[in-house]
Amino acid sequence: MKNFKHLFVIFATLVATLSACQPSVSSSTTSSSNSNTTITNPSEDDPVFSKFTGELERNVEIKVVENDTAIKMGYLDELIEAFNEEYKEYGITAVDANQGEFADLPNTGPYGYGPDVVYQANDVLMGWVQDKHIMPLPTHLIEAYQSDVIPQTAHEAYKSVNNNVNYTFGVPVNIQSPLLYYRKDLLPSDWQETWDDNDNDVPDMVENIVDLYQFSLQYHEQDNSKYGFEFSLNDFYFTSGYLFSYGAYLFGENNRDDTDIGLHQGNAKYGVQLLRQFAAQMSPACIDDSAKLAISGAMASGKYFASVTTPDVRSVIVDALATTYQDEEGLTSQEAIQKAEENIIGVPFPSLPSNGDLINPSEEMIECKQMGGINGFAMSSYTKYPNASLAFINFATSYKMVKLREEIIQIAPCRSDVASESNELSQQLFEKASNGSIVLMPSIKAINQVWTPAGSFMGDVAADPSRGSNAKYDTLDKIQAALEQLSKDIYDAIHLLS
Amino acid sequence: MKRFFKNIAIKTNNTYVNFINFFKVSNINVKASMALMGLGQLMYRQIGRGILYLAIEILGIVFFSLYGFHWLVGLITLGTVEADPWTGLEGDNSVIFLLLGLMSLTLLILFIALYISNVKDAYKTSLLVLKGEKIPTFKEDLKDLLDKKFYKTMLFLPLLGTLIFSVLPIVFMILVAFTNYGDTVLPPVLVDWIGIDNFVKIFSLGDIGPTFFKILGWNILWAVSTTLLNYVLGLLLAIILNKKVVKAKFFWRLFPILAYAIPGFITLTAFKFMFAQGGPINQYIIQAGGSAIPFLTKDGTWWARIIGLLINAWLTVPSVMLLATGILSNINNDLYEAARIDGAGSFKQFKDITLPFVVFATTPTLITSFIGNFNNFGVFYFLRGAIESDGYFASNDTDLLINWLYRLSIDNTYYSIGAAISLIIFVITSAISLIIYIKSPAYKKEDTFR
Repeated sequence: MKNFKHLFVIFATLVATLSACQPSVSSSTTSSSNSNTTITNPSEDDPVFSKFTGELERNVEIKVVENDTAIKMGYLDELIEAFNEEYKEYGITAVDANQGEFADLPNTGPYGYGPDVVYQANDVLMGWVQDKHIMPLPTHLIEAYQSDVIPQTAHEAYKSVNNNVNYTFGVPVNIQSPLLYYRKDLLPSDWQETWDDNDNDVPDMVENIVDLYQFSLQYHEQDNSKYGFEFSLNDFYFTSGYLFSYGAYLFGENNRDDTDIGLHQGNAKYGVQLLRQFAAQMSPACIDDSAKLAISGAMASGKYFASVTTPDVRSVIVDALATTYQDEEGLTSQEAIQKAEENIIGVPFPSLPSNGDLINPSEEMIECKQMGGINGFAMSSYTKYPNASLAFINFATSYKMVKLREEIIQIAPCRSDVASESNELSQQLFEKASNGSIVLMPSIKAINQVWTPAGSFMGDVAADPSRGSNAKYDTLDKIQAALEQLSKDIYDAIHLLS
Repeated sequence: MKRFFKNIAIKTNNTYVNFINFFKVSNINVKASMALMGLGQLMYRQIGRGILYLAIEILGIVFFSLYGFHWLVGLITLGTVEADPWTGLEGDNSVIFLLLGLMSLTLLILFIALYISNVKDAYKTSLLVLKGEKIPTFKEDLKDLLDKKFYKTMLFLPLLGTLIFSVLPIVFMILVAFTNYGDTVLPPVLVDWIGIDNFVKIFSLGDIGPTFFKILGWNILWAVSTTLLNYVLGLLLAIILNKKVVKAKFFWRLFPILAYAIPGFITLTAFKFMFAQGGPINQYIIQAGGSAIPFLTKDGTWWARIIGLLINAWLTVPSVMLLATGILSNINNDLYEAARIDGAGSFKQFKDITLPFVVFATTPTLITSFIGNFNNFGVFYFLRGAIESDGYFASNDTDLLINWLYRLSIDNTYYSIGAAISLIIFVITSAISLIIYIKSPAYKKEDTFR
């Protein structure tokens, strides 16, 4: 007991001592702009750019973090080989940093063993900007920006304000966005007569969601174990676009002001209503991750006619479908792969009725927005070779390399000159990214507080039709109230403990 | 409270009086050791011992002049110059300052302890001289460390290891709970001491306070029920498989052991798949004409809680069974024989012989099991990690405090809030464990079963 008293005295003294210490104010980088101050672009002789002397460091090694797909498909090897050849005379060698695609720069960079150059999505890279782990780039020394081939929206995704100067922190390379994938060979044989009202040779059910809904009803009616359209509604990366299409937004001031959460704004409730109506025609797998995990098998077996996923999953679906063709039709591996490639089609999200009602849809249709990201290259603030790293970024974001990346990885480029020569889907995505129909993931840390509450809410909406008389979201007023609560919860998660 | 401070005042006064008295009765050699470590010993011609103490003092002074003092100041300020990676300005790293400061504080305490031991040693020697006894030589001191004081030699390294790898991280965590480390305050931004603000936030801010108490309530219910369920089922299984009538015991024991041998997260992932909305269980229910059950969705609060209890039983019962099997084999069969002769039935034998014996032997295990279950992170993280419930702040209605702590500190980088919750969990589990242990037969009747 005596010992306990002693311990208590020590603990009480410790608490009292620490309580007496007053907090001091720390400065930090801000990414939100202040309306009372003038934001300017950095000048070429900004002191932050003093490291960029133009003189390449010689005989140095640049550690590069790339994404797993680029490594797996051999693009990184091609990039490194080409760069090393180009800069042979300077002795600059680029190497794979071997730190995984989600290299933990904040925990490696300051201690001297982080990468020099990082390829990542804009939200990840810009999340590191707030703590200055990413170096502001001199756009006047970057070819992609100087040739004016980067869309303004993509450039904006890599900008952040520090001390009223709007710096650029990365160079866009690719556009990432979920797509609607469908089985072409499961279209009705007479679809050109029955499902192509506008005679544009594109099936109506993948052009507008009202027809997709009608087709889903028919598809399920023919075989009640099958679903025309099914995806995991609890993934907010997939569903947020339906809210954005009706006026919602994540953060105010072009996704930079985390004090303004706008998921309840405009007619966002229409988007929720529409998804709830569609969820009633989906299987319970749409409530959680089940549909996402089952997508390849379900599309290969025809259980799902269409689903939503990211382009990197397409090859998995194609493989599964090819196996099915081999088993069921006796095709060779090559024939099966070719057939599967032809039959798994990716398209942007179908358009939506302006009243957000699938049962009594309006005549007027609106474009469906979708969330996306811009992947690009950025430089670690801790690199000892800023000029060589800048040379690498310039090289990797050049026309030649972005085109090669598209050819090898089949990912939509973010350079207008490459996109203009690409396939139709890449061109559509480039167009959508340029005109804002692809809503880019916010480049501020607060985005981390959105995924779980918003995904959890959408999963709850998907479960609502099965609640019958206990439904929580069966009127627009209830949906609006729930969206307002969601915005408040996200605001609290960001600010209550700050 | 008044009495508490009065006691402190009395104790402080007593210590002061004792010190004055000690100083008065000490001879010149002891006073010399007070002035300079090892000097008294040198005056008693204890050369080895004296040089060792002197070396410690010199090393201590050099270390604290060069680093220690600076680190201690750093512990108070947590840095004054903010680093700027863009311009290459190498500023202070508050987290490193906290670590080094803590290390320096530990070394200071060690140094003070050595100083006191130096004075005590000189005093002891002065008593030996007074009694006319022989003063041990340095060689004899070293010999003692391998003989009479061998326990000290043996315990030194484990003690040092415990201090570095257990105590220091815990103290570091405790200190973090009193800072604003986390969220936007991460190096290179400087961290500050904020007193008890984190605790105030936990108990008072918005939904955070109610969330804490809701989670705490469920956490206690979970820990008690899952510990008891696992214990009872494990014991039952062990007793059944211990019966003579059971043939091929090894074969039957193999099944639970297999369940135990499979890594927990694989089992949890499999169960999550089975109970998912599109999982096989719901598919069978739908095929049978029913509607899908929201086992793990936002609506499935009690479904998920019960599933969690059963999955944890699946994972834990085998270990309890193995433990109980070992203990059961140690019970003297004569006790049962005597009971039977006295006319005791099976239940009576179980209640009065088996149960007390097993409970006595397993109380410490029960306590560790309770703490383990109180902090059982895996079950609900795997089952419902992606769900947030209405009325809960950044958590759901099956989250335990440890899950909430993870969400706040890892997902949301509120490290200091996480540290504060850790401290609260530590206090709760320690208090409950202590109470259970003190009330248990293992403590009260320590000699009964010996």
